[in-house]
Amino acid sequence: MRHYSKVQLEGMTVAELRSKCVYELSIPGMSKQRKSDIIDAILERVGVAPEPVQTPSVTAIEASFQSTLTKPDARKGDKTTTTIRVSCGASSGAFDVAGKSVGAVADFLREVLNIDSLASGIVNGEHVNDSYVLKSGDNLEFLKPAGSKGC
Amino acid sequence: MKNYSVVIIGLGGIGSILCEKIFRFLNYLDEVKVNVTLVDGDDFELKNHERQEFSMLGNKAEVKANDLKYKFDQISVDAIPRFVNPYTIEEIVKEKDIVLLAVDNHKTRNIVSNYCKELRDVTLISGGNELTDGNVQIYIRRGGRDLTPDLGAYHPEIQSPRDRTPEEMSCEELSKSEPQLYFTNLGAATLMCWVFYNVVVKENYKFSEVYFDILTMLSDSKVRILTK
Repeated sequence: MRHYSKVQLEGMTVAELRSKCVYELSIPGMSKQRKSDIIDAILERVGVAPEPVQTPSVTAIEASFQSTLTKPDARKGDKTTTTIRVSCGASSGAFDVAGKSVGAVADFLREVLNIDSLASGIVNGEHVNDSYVLKSGDNLEFLKPAGSKGC
Repeated sequence: MKNYSVVIIGLGGIGSILCEKIFRFLNYLDEVKVNVTLVDGDDFELKNHERQEFSMLGNKAEVKANDLKYKFDQISVDAIPRFVNPYTIEEIVKEKDIVLLAVDNHKTRNIVSNYCKELRDVTLISGGNELTDGNVQIYIRRGGRDLTPDLGAYHPEIQSPRDRTPEEMSCEELSKSEPQLYFTNLGAATLMCWVFYNVVVKENYKFSEVYFDILTMLSDSKVRILTK
């Protein structure tokens, strides 16, 4: 017998649940019951399946805003944020990318920050090439071209 | 009493919105004498009405100057019904001017920025946009020194423009225009007003550029260093 989770059942209509009771599970007396009672009856009959793991749809930006790195040599509980501010145009975020090259960061964040494949990197205001390795405290910007129109 | 000499170049989607807001702000400033010069060689046509507001058909600079001088009578207004090019720029931009550049091509941005490099004191605020995002750049010179990078310093597309000025384009090219969104023009004009207040009134020269994006509803200002 197939197992259902409560979430799955709550996603069904009352008509679907009643049909399931009659044709699939042979649970009588559900034609006038409320949705919550029907769900309880089904779960009692088939047993409760584990709830599916809800993976929050956190974007890389949101995740990175919260990301911190504990330094390997830090004392216990001594958390130090070593995120680097990376921006492109109006989008920006603090990312755990110290030690990574500018080129690797561009590839990693291309979709998140909408980085053009030809965009050059600027670290602390100075142009750098893709092999530059980011250090703690750096500020990385991928240059977005200026808006061309306006008239 | 302070003197503000403001030059607004380009009276299209951004500039026609911008000048209304700037005039309203400047008209009610105390202890400031204001002269504004409006510059555009283009004519207002009915097809522009979707994003631009003019009271009548005709040269944009002349029509808008006429509209604004009655609405804001504390401001002296001039109109220059010409496009910017390497020959006209000297007549248009002078020492100590505050230039608000709202044009639709990098070639003109290049001409104006390079000309401003030759001046001792000038403030150049340049806005531009694509369909749903855009940016505003700030180039300031004081006492013959750059306080912020020029428009081309971080933008190769402006340093070596591949596009052309309106005067260099054929009628067919001019008649073809890519779609633009009124709200994006409005966003660029609004950011130019923010920059104007920061730079001109508050004398805050920290930022060199600000980007905005309507789809992500974000804006971000940039601090840039002077390139060697």
